[in-house]
Formats: sequence, C-alpha cells, structure tokens
Amino acid sequence: MVQFVQIVVNGVFTGGVYAIIGIGLSLIFGVMRIVNFAHGVFLVVGMFTTLFFFERLHVDPFLVIPLVVLVGGLLGIVLERFLLEPIVRAPEHASILMTVGIGLVLSNLLLFAFGDAPQIINTRYSTSTWHLGPITFSTALTIAFVLTVVVIGGLALILERTDLGRSIRAAAQNADAAELQGINTRRVRSLVFGIGFALAALAGALLLPQLFAHPSIGPTYTLKAFVVTVLGGMGNVAGAIGGGLLLGVTESLGAAYVSSSYRDAFGLAAFLLVLLLRPAGLFGRSRT
Amino acid sequence: MRRTPPSGSHPATRPRIGAGTSSLTGALVLLALLTFYPAAFPSFITLGVTIVLFAAMASAWDVLGGWTGQLSLGHAVFVGIGAYTMALLVLRNGVAPWWGAMVGMGASVVVAAMWGGVTFRLRGPYFALASIAVAEMTRIVANNWARLTGGAEGISLPTLPLFLGLDLFSRRVEFYMALILLGLALAVAWWLQRSRFGYHLQAIREDEDAAMALGINPTREKVWAFLASAALTSLGGSLYGIFLGFFEPRGMFSLDLSVQLALMAYIGGAGTLFGPLIGAGLLVGGSEVLRIYFPGKSLFVYGVLIILVVLFAPDGLSTAVRRARRA
Repeated sequence: MVQFVQIVVNGVFTGGVYAIIGIGLSLIFGVMRIVNFAHGVFLVVGMFTTLFFFERLHVDPFLVIPLVVLVGGLLGIVLERFLLEPIVRAPEHASILMTVGIGLVLSNLLLFAFGDAPQIINTRYSTSTWHLGPITFSTALTIAFVLTVVVIGGLALILERTDLGRSIRAAAQNADAAELQGINTRRVRSLVFGIGFALAALAGALLLPQLFAHPSIGPTYTLKAFVVTVLGGMGNVAGAIGGGLLLGVTESLGAAYVSSSYRDAFGLAAFLLVLLLRPAGLFGRSRT
Repeated sequence: MRRTPPSGSHPATRPRIGAGTSSLTGALVLLALLTFYPAAFPSFITLGVTIVLFAAMASAWDVLGGWTGQLSLGHAVFVGIGAYTMALLVLRNGVAPWWGAMVGMGASVVVAAMWGGVTFRLRGPYFALASIAVAEMTRIVANNWARLTGGAEGISLPTLPLFLGLDLFSRRVEFYMALILLGLALAVAWWLQRSRFGYHLQAIREDEDAAMALGINPTREKVWAFLASAALTSLGGSLYGIFLGFFEPRGMFSLDLSVQLALMAYIGGAGTLFGPLIGAGLLVGGSEVLRIYFPGKSLFVYGVLIILVVLFAPDGLSTAVRRARRA
C-alpha cells in the first residue's frame, strides 16, 4: 500500500509538469487551430536557457525561471509574427510543416551552441528528499510541483478575470465573432503563442534538475504534450490539467506494475482510446 | 480543422481535376531517362537508389495524404512491416525475399484495413495525431518484443538468394527495383488523376460532407486509398530493408521517417503526379549536398528549407512552378 501511494505521488508530481506542457499546446490549438509539432523543442529551449544562466551567471536554476519564461515568451511572439501569421489562412498541413521546420531549426541551433553531450546540473537539492510518514518526496520535484500549482492558478485567474483572458477565450470560441467585437485576434494569436512557448520553457526549467538535457529530446515531449491535450480535450485548458495528472499517474503505475520498457506505450494507448471514444477529451462536453 | 474562406482567396483547395495527358508522356520520359542514371553516375549510385526509393514511398504516401487529403504521420509502420517481414522470413524460414515482400505487403494491407476502419471517423488533425500514436506504439512493441523482431539491437540480413540471376545487394539491381516501384506508384497516381475512384478521393479531400451528399461513402473510399498506399509503402520498406542490410526498430518505425515521407510529398506538391518525386530529390539530394558543404549543419538547413517552402510555395514546388509558368 505504501508503495502504491508512493508511485501515485510520484506520478502526480511528474503529471503536474506534463500539465504545464499540455496547457500551452491546448491554448495554441484552441486559439490558432495549430497542432504545434515544435512544442517539445520549446521545452528543450527552456532547459538550455536555464542551463546557460546557471553556468554563466551561477544562479540557482529555480531563481532564473522568470528570465527563462520571459525569453520563451518573446521567442514565441517573434516566431508567431514572422512565421505563423503569414500562413494563418493556409490549409492546416502548412502549419504542421511550419512547426516541424521550426522545431528542426531550433533543436539544431541548440546543438551548435551547446554540443552533443548530454548535460546535467548539480544543485544541493538534486538528490535530496524529505519525508511525510513512510512516503518520500524528492525536493526538486516538490518545488517544481508547487510552482506548477502557482502558475496554473495564475493562468486560470488571467483567463477568467482579465480582459486579456476574455479576449483569448473569445478568440478560441469564434475568431470571426471576436474580431467583430473589436478584439485584435492577430495580437491574441501572438500572445497565445508566446504564452505557450513560455509555459513549455518553464516546464523545461522545472524538469532540468532531474533530467539530462540534450538537444534531441524535444520530440519525446511533443508526443507527451499531444497525449495530455487529447486526454483533456484539444483546446480545453482545464482538461489539460487532468490529462497531465492522468498521464503522469498512468506512466508511473504502468512502469511499476506492468513493464517499465512499455512506459511510453501506456500513455499512447490511453491517448488512442480517448481519441476514438471521446474525441472531445475525457473532461470535455461532447460537441456535435 | 482550419476553414479556408469559401471564395478561394487561397488557391490550394481549387480542384486539380483532369490535369491533362502531357503528364503521362512526362512520366514515361522521366522514367526512361532515369534508367540511364546508373551508367551516367556510377559513383553516385547509392544516392540514386535512396532518391528513387524515397520518391516511390513518398508517392505511395501521397495516395492517402495528397490525393485523399488524410494526413498520415505513421507510414513508417508499413516501411517497418515490409522490411521486418521480409527479413524475418529470410532469417527464420529461409523464404526468398521477394515472397517475403509479398507476405509483408499482405500484412500491411491487413494492418491498414484495421487501422483505417477504426480511425477514419477522425478528421483533420485528429487523424494525424492518431496515426502518430499507432506508429509510436508499433515502434515500442517492435523494440521490446525481442523474440520476434530481435529487439533494439536490430537484425542484419544474411546472404540472399539470386533474384532471376541478379544479386539483390548490388546497388544497380536495387536501383532498377526501386525504379520499377516508382513506376508503379506513378501509374497509380496517374490513374487517380483521371479515374472515377480518383475523383471520389479528391472530392473527399475537398469537402467530405459534400462528397457524402453526392453519394460517396467516404470511409470506404478512404480505406481503399489507405490499402493501396500501405501496399506500395510496404514494398518500398522491403526494398529499403535490403538496401540497408542492417536495421533496428528505432529507425524503421521512427516518427522521423513518417514525417520525412509527408514532407517530401508536401514540399514537392501533395496530390500531384511529380510532387513527391521532386520533393524526394530535393530533400534526399539536398541533404546529401548539405552534408558535404555544411558538415553537421545539414538538418538545420533542412529545417530552413521547409520554412521557406511553406512561406513562399505553400502548395509545393511543382504547383508553384506551374502557376508561375501560367502567369
């Protein structure tokens, strides 16, 4: 029983970070109708930005997070303006190709800049843990989870309570109607892509203390982001939270009780089932 | 699902129906010219095999992706099934590779029928996402089911029997086999341009609901297109396996491979006769040239090329050229 709780706890903590990746992808899909194939690479950009600040400025990786988020947001806005805005009316495969291209360019730029060797950072808390009864918590993952909760809460407030949030939700519901109401949907698209990139970069920074960073790991996380968004319902931001937690727990339970070499397959199987049986996601109202 | 404006401000969705007979002559001339390639460029024969083989597989992809408009990002499954069925039958049962390729083709068709039957109710990006999931799960299973596939270490082919007196490991023989396959794929594409079945597929691509209103059963037609596409891709996969001689699930079932086939078709022009061929030539040939002139930077330039094509020739290069010539 203790072991089971421990596994679920680990799953929930990882799932929180998955949720952050998924929320960004879901926002982008909801507003821009773009399936972003570069999303995992954005996460890797976040990892290496953190690494850069950590090694050059010797600042704690969790302290540079605001900077990383800022860099991600700006990169996202610039990419959207120059590469995605021009093809906004093109058929959907154009945006898929474009994001594949962006992903290739970004990951290879990272390869030139940081080299081919997997990199890791060592902090005081990389390996430290704390205990609650018989359950062990990794300190780094705990900090990551707390930050995740704060960020998701803040984002929910922005979406629900501010004018910006209302324009984003309006643009997601019906871009033309939003435009008629005087919302600058072009600006909303740029901002949403910026927010998506920033969230992915944040997830990268949060995962860095426990993972090897390598320029080529992007696609793995792109897939995870797809799984999370489909579980939660494409374009459904609140659903992405549930999707992320579900993926985290499924992976860690499957790895522990069935087979760890099939770890990634459990998420994909759930993904395919949800896609076929409930295309609007587990938590979405099915639309006809 | 992106809605293009109905008045057609973007010409991508304009039907290209009945594009003319000159393309048939063009295709025949091109295939005839290609038969001289091994004699003309003997030192670039490996590059030639790669281009022609990928052109054939990209054309096969295009039957579903371009002509029917169903974006599959999982076609590596058929490449893998073709290569593995052929190789395992040779290794375990001593079955000749050409029969193995036929069995692989049959297996691919069965897989495509199930896959299509289940996922063709999904539209647009959802179908693409499902195809990624199917392919990734296949890769994970192939990687872990070591007793069947040899697992992550991969398998290498033994000495193969002669095919009609020809050595299958000779690059020249492989080139002509790939060329025959390309001819087959081009013939299918040419037929899709002008047959009733082809019109049905193009109608589904342009507007599935309207096609249904006209009495076309979209799911059935899409499944047929998928079967043809899978069969041709699988043959390409068997040949690719022989060409490589050694392979592993990570490469054969990879998402990269699936994406590459789709990119070739789109960059050249999806749903056109020569598009996939042009795309394969550019991407395979281009990345080879880039590897020489920009060592270690070829994938970077590859990404830049994709971005440029999407920005400046969104319907693929062959369509852009045709439009420029007409204007």
